[in-house]
Amino acid sequence: MKKTLTLASGSLLLALVFSWWWTSRQPSPVELIPTLTGQPEYCLTCHADVPDISPSHPNNTFGCVSCHGGERLALNADLAHSTMRGGANPSDLSVAGISCGGSNCHSGSEADDRNHIQRVMTSVQSTYAGAIANIRFSFGAQPDLIPRFGTNAVTDEQTQTGITSLSAFKPLSESNPFIQKFGENCLTCHVNAVRGDGKANERQTGCAACHATAKHTLSTAIPYTQCNACHNRGNYDLRTMTFIERTDHPTNRLQDYYQPIAQFTKCEYTLDCVDCHTRDEAMGDGDLHANQKDIQYIQCKTCHGTPTELPLTKTIADPNDIVFRLAMLNPVLELKMGDTVLVTEKGEPLWNTRVVSDGTYEMIGKVTRQQFAFRPVMGSHCTQSGKDQSSAYCHECHSVER
Amino acid sequence: MRPSFFHHLHPPTIPATQARWRYTLGAGGTAIFLVLILGVTGILELFYYNPTPAQAALSVQTITYLVPFGGFIRNVHYWAAQFLLIVSAIHLLRVVFTAAYSSPRRFNYLLGVCLFVLVILLDFTGYVLRWDVDICYPLLTGTNLLKTVPVVGNFLYRIAVGGGEACSTGLLRFYIWHIFGLTITAIILTVWHAFRVRRDGGIAVPPPQLRKDITRISRNELVRREVLAMFLVGIALIILSMLIPAPIAAAMTEKSILGEARAPWFFLWIQQMLKWGNPFLFGVLIPFGMLVLVALLPYMFPRPAAGDIGQWFPKSNRLAQIVIGVIAVIVLVLTLLTFIS
Repeated sequence: MKKTLTLASGSLLLALVFSWWWTSRQPSPVELIPTLTGQPEYCLTCHADVPDISPSHPNNTFGCVSCHGGERLALNADLAHSTMRGGANPSDLSVAGISCGGSNCHSGSEADDRNHIQRVMTSVQSTYAGAIANIRFSFGAQPDLIPRFGTNAVTDEQTQTGITSLSAFKPLSESNPFIQKFGENCLTCHVNAVRGDGKANERQTGCAACHATAKHTLSTAIPYTQCNACHNRGNYDLRTMTFIERTDHPTNRLQDYYQPIAQFTKCEYTLDCVDCHTRDEAMGDGDLHANQKDIQYIQCKTCHGTPTELPLTKTIADPNDIVFRLAMLNPVLELKMGDTVLVTEKGEPLWNTRVVSDGTYEMIGKVTRQQFAFRPVMGSHCTQSGKDQSSAYCHECHSVER
Repeated sequence: MRPSFFHHLHPPTIPATQARWRYTLGAGGTAIFLVLILGVTGILELFYYNPTPAQAALSVQTITYLVPFGGFIRNVHYWAAQFLLIVSAIHLLRVVFTAAYSSPRRFNYLLGVCLFVLVILLDFTGYVLRWDVDICYPLLTGTNLLKTVPVVGNFLYRIAVGGGEACSTGLLRFYIWHIFGLTITAIILTVWHAFRVRRDGGIAVPPPQLRKDITRISRNELVRREVLAMFLVGIALIILSMLIPAPIAAAMTEKSILGEARAPWFFLWIQQMLKWGNPFLFGVLIPFGMLVLVALLPYMFPRPAAGDIGQWFPKSNRLAQIVIGVIAVIVLVLTLLTFIS
């Protein structure tokens, strides 16, 4: 008996030592107390090398949990990740209101220009309202082109466009098989929609669809390649209501990227999309719109003016002007009080442009940081009628040969 | 050898036949050892556990992942609690299968059954103290079953849960039941139970004239055997605690309070019956009826023959063996059914 006892006590001691060793080899917790929340979190124990997602969202201020959710104290991967918002993408529109929202963040007031989430939710990029209305109208499911459905149900009580709400489009409730097929195959490219399969559909959803320009990166310097992840990835065949994914791998922007029949001026394939197209166009202006045309309004004349009018400009006189906030987020040029920038007909500042003292203009590429000098049409040899100043007319003379 | 305090807790000698492992199965002694382990590890957990609905699950995560050896201590507490339930059940079955409950030990048998119920309640309240998403559904089911009791249902519910909803405000009440109400009662009953073993003449044996073997072992030998059992159980606890961590889930939030809809393993058999319909019948009446049946075994059937006491499966208490055997099989089969379906 004594031998057995000795053996058992030795084994117990061994088990205790083993358990000590076992416990001590677990990773030691790495704590982060973000200044914004003041609540300790231990994500860095495993994710030590995650860089700040953007200069505006430093890890030390935001930590991980305020955006991603998750169990902040758990060191077990399964448990820690079990309550993450939107999986790896907290900006998916199903959770963006919680992850990116908040009155001090991106669900602020329209007056402060911090209502980004409300704007995205109601934008055509998210609702796809125009295309749905067009298809339903074309196949006789509705008598006019007034949108009734979006990819998700959405309301806008304070709309300026007369469209106060959209119901969720349910393709299977449609009687026409073409509309059903449209719903099945053609709704995967909008930021609110679950992405389709295949390499051509490789993109994130929600805010990240545009702003996540690299892994764990949020940026307002959005290169054209990011836009092309949705806008130039194949063609819809309306006869069969299918999407034909492009199989080539474009390298030359002018030759390979764009549709053969399309016309382009030099700036359209030299600049990035965001150099000209504004936040209202891309993210929406907070109102529900009937289609893309109603919100996309930048034309050549926005920057170049017409033979009879100079482009609109604005001299910065208010230190709280939004141009300073926009320029701070992507500091490609140093704007000062008293600088004059171009503005759109809706009053949106083109903050990466500036009127130069000799009456010409300069634009700094938001992504490339390249400087472009350009002149107004007024005073040039252009004889185009003042009435016909949409971009299509400019293309007649200024498109490049391919 | 001069007897120590621990030796004095034991009788000077006990019958050799009834001191064998294959008779006692070491169940009663192991249960006492597990209670001690649970006390020590439970007290250590108290240093970090925070019994408020907003903080409870986070404090469990703190214990599990951040406190040095906290996860290990919690795992030992968990496994000791599961072992205790199993060992108590084995002890109960052993006592019936060896006719050891026979007079004068009938009252002590009742104390034992009460302790068994307390262990189940302690296991359930301990499970609830995790206060994470996985405990809510079983807690709601369990407490709502109380409401189905005619006449006094709502009163029982208020006693168990208090004023609000089970998953929102009931935590403090379960905490107090777990740490004080049930634990103190269990400690008192355990001491009383052990005392009554001595008072009722030690371990159950036939009267001296009917014994085949009259040899006895000393308390030194008994203590050695107990220590060996403790070592073996200790090793098992340590190894299990390293290999299989205690369950844990995400903290409840306003948006998500419901996790998995699965009862803790010891209540799975009731969950299986609840699928059949009437919650009062299957969730309260039948389990309670089975408990009453078990408690009344020594009083329902004729007294076992004196020579049968302390023998495995004697003929004279066959009926009691069948009743508790059938109950045990029913509980086992119902539990297994939940894994199949």
